[in-house]
Amino acid sequence: MAPAMRGVLWGLVAFFVFNAATLAVDPSAESPYASQVSVTVGWFAAMIAYLLGIGGLEAVARPMFGLSDTWREAPGWRRYFGFSTDHKVVGLQYMLASAGGFLVAGLVAMAMRYQLMTPYLTIFGSTSDYLTAVGIHGTIMMFSVATVFMVGGLGNYLVPLMIGTNRTVFPKLSGLSVWLVPFGILTVALSPLLGGFTTGWRGYQPLAGSDTNGILFYYLGIVALTTSSFMVALNLTTTIIFRRAPGVTWNRLPMFAWGILTVSLLNLIWLPEIQITYLMNLAERLVPLNLFNANGSPAMYLDLFWLFGHPEVYIVVVPALAVWNEILPVMGKKSLFARPVAVLGLVFVMLLSGLVWAHHMFTNIRATEQLPFSFFTEMISIPTGFAYLAAIGTLWRSRLQVNTPTLLVLMSMFNFLIGGLTGLFLADVPINYQIHNTFWVVGHFHYTIIGGMVFSSLAAMYYWLPKFSGRMFNEFWGKFGAIWIFIAFNATFGNFFVLGLRGMNRWVPVYPGYLVPENVWTSIAAFVLGAGFLFHAAHLWWAWYRGEKADENPWGARTLEWQTSSPTPEVNFSRPPIVAANFYSYGDDAPPVLWAGDASHAD
Amino acid sequence: MGDLVAVFVIWLVAGGLAEWATVSWINSGPWDSGPYFYVASNLGTVGLHAFDFLLEFAVAIFMLVVVMIAYSAVRFRVRRGERPSQAPSQSRYNGTFVGVWIVGSIVLNLLFWIHPTASGLEAVYAAQLPQNNKNALIVDVAARQWEWIFSYPQYGIQQAVNNQGFDALWLPVNRPVEFVLKSYDPAHNYENIDYVIHSFWIPAFGVKEDVVPGQTRYLYLIPTHITSTKTNEMVRVQCAEVCGGGHPYMEADVHVVTPQAFAAWVQHQKHLQASILNLEGIVGDES
Repeated sequence: MAPAMRGVLWGLVAFFVFNAATLAVDPSAESPYASQVSVTVGWFAAMIAYLLGIGGLEAVARPMFGLSDTWREAPGWRRYFGFSTDHKVVGLQYMLASAGGFLVAGLVAMAMRYQLMTPYLTIFGSTSDYLTAVGIHGTIMMFSVATVFMVGGLGNYLVPLMIGTNRTVFPKLSGLSVWLVPFGILTVALSPLLGGFTTGWRGYQPLAGSDTNGILFYYLGIVALTTSSFMVALNLTTTIIFRRAPGVTWNRLPMFAWGILTVSLLNLIWLPEIQITYLMNLAERLVPLNLFNANGSPAMYLDLFWLFGHPEVYIVVVPALAVWNEILPVMGKKSLFARPVAVLGLVFVMLLSGLVWAHHMFTNIRATEQLPFSFFTEMISIPTGFAYLAAIGTLWRSRLQVNTPTLLVLMSMFNFLIGGLTGLFLADVPINYQIHNTFWVVGHFHYTIIGGMVFSSLAAMYYWLPKFSGRMFNEFWGKFGAIWIFIAFNATFGNFFVLGLRGMNRWVPVYPGYLVPENVWTSIAAFVLGAGFLFHAAHLWWAWYRGEKADENPWGARTLEWQTSSPTPEVNFSRPPIVAANFYSYGDDAPPVLWAGDASHAD
Repeated sequence: MGDLVAVFVIWLVAGGLAEWATVSWINSGPWDSGPYFYVASNLGTVGLHAFDFLLEFAVAIFMLVVVMIAYSAVRFRVRRGERPSQAPSQSRYNGTFVGVWIVGSIVLNLLFWIHPTASGLEAVYAAQLPQNNKNALIVDVAARQWEWIFSYPQYGIQQAVNNQGFDALWLPVNRPVEFVLKSYDPAHNYENIDYVIHSFWIPAFGVKEDVVPGQTRYLYLIPTHITSTKTNEMVRVQCAEVCGGGHPYMEADVHVVTPQAFAAWVQHQKHLQASILNLEGIVGDES
């Protein structure tokens, strides 16, 4: 039996067994078969059984008891459906799981946009159903796509290659963690079985306290997804610190590795905070504790949520900023401009991101707190701008190949610029009083996340496709798709700003009639955008298997992942690379990256 | 040098056009409401001025960065038929560019924080001071799932409703209003653990304030124009914080009227209330 099948089966059995066992302990006549407590206990049991089933039993649990590791990976494509310690397999598993989350949450978004074409209910049976859809869309997008695709996916695959090692420090940790992603996505997507939840992705209290039990699967799903990200962060941070090949000094560490290092530190700092918050919420429901309702402190939950919630958006976007400056020097055949400034930008964004959370609560907090939080919020645009400084400096007088990856990077810069500048208005408190919780905010963060992170992820997929598969995409269709989603994206989310200014608030499937025409156009553009993403998925899928065979190093890049054959061999580097020059030094007189005498050294 | 001049000239032209469009937008709409579309309160005007100010700068910054990116992508691209080669210039640092960029972004951000943010907040806070709210009309606002309930303690109006019995907010123009905001359900006042956060928002007034269970919040503002929900649908009370299934329906009509019309409305409400109480034979909060 395939490990994935075994995991699902064991998980299901464990759920029903432990759910029933919990009821046996609490055999009151009124208990329904699935109570809050029994579902929670059953879910945790299911998670452990599922992780054992996908291979954790042989590879992790047995060695923990001093027994031998009897895990054998299946050959060929089947190894992707089980536990693996190969960082490349894990990376691709992450990308696929994350893309699956993008598909599920994207389809939910299409349903939402269809609903919003009319000011009355159509495909949703009730406003609560619509709010459940909003919550599922946001939760899956944030916790399984935005914070996962680049870190768990590209990070696991590329970082060991880029720093010149054959394996990560804790391969079993990443091997297990990736399987929490589909588990978490399914948990959140199945929340309607327990009645859904009306709070959106933020789970605001005290509303969550009086919500239906679907909110349990929101808490539990996020616990699974954030645990996954935490395990990846531990592994990649340690790997970057301890497994760099000789010569990959901190001054030479690739930009993308810097991006992953800074977000991994953010993950290590802030994920435990939100996990504790959700466990408190879980206890609040099961016990209950009256922590966050009118008898406790409702505003406390908002602080706890955004204390994590704002660093999270930098977890989303910092790898994207790093990808810009990874790709542009290669495509422009020009040395990376002001590299120390670009790196410092990433580090300062990481540090400042913990000081801005209350700007999500300007309509809620004390007046004395408004000025400092608006100050730090405005100041964080300075280090963020350093990514632009380096990118524009690199573009200047380069020899730029305007191909699909380049085009997508430039589009990402354009979109993120709009995302950043619209944030300036939100940081201004008197303006925030008006546009907070309107479609302006929705437009703003979709510009940063789709416009910034998703466009950069697509750029990365095209750029590293020859590395992943050894094949090349079709340049015409790649550009065609890029222009398609660029226009559709701006047509969709550009409208959001106007809608917000005209008084369209969030979380409403039913709204005043004067906003209908604008919403209809927005929805049509959104459908075109959704089709555009499917187009890219189909093109990449086709290119992966049927594209032209690519050269080993088609872009003439200098970073280490291109110094081994493409697609990446089973063992990344047959001889450990020794780095003797900067990865981003171009020009005819640039010294070779690899130390010429490495063969003799390796002996 | 030629490329720098070209970028600068293109920015001046394209940016100038964009600024012209921006200023046209700013000067459009009733009472120059511009990007806010419809502004009818003193606090909304503070926000609007800040918005206009930031918009002019944001458009200029946006155009500058976009022109730099687009110019580089066009001017320095490898043209069709050319072979890719190493860039002739391999400059890795330019102190002037980096210095201007960093100092410029710090100066701009400090400027934005001082004006319009801090200066705008000064105006907002000043509008909340007692000495600027003499003779304020007090409106008690109870937010419950899912209804706005307005009462006027100075006039003995327990629940202001229109002729159909829906909640309605009436305000005299140019008189300060003190909104006393509570998340509270008069009909279920024993179930305080079920109260949730709402947000009191009148889009045309350009301001919202969260209504938090267990807390009393105050919001002072002055309606500056005679208007109503019928005139423009932005003149409505709308809940702006998700509060459960009825959230989209949690709205109420608003009428900003002359002092005379307001006085007449007060009498009408008193009459209406007396007749309802006579009908029910009780005096209480069961309404």
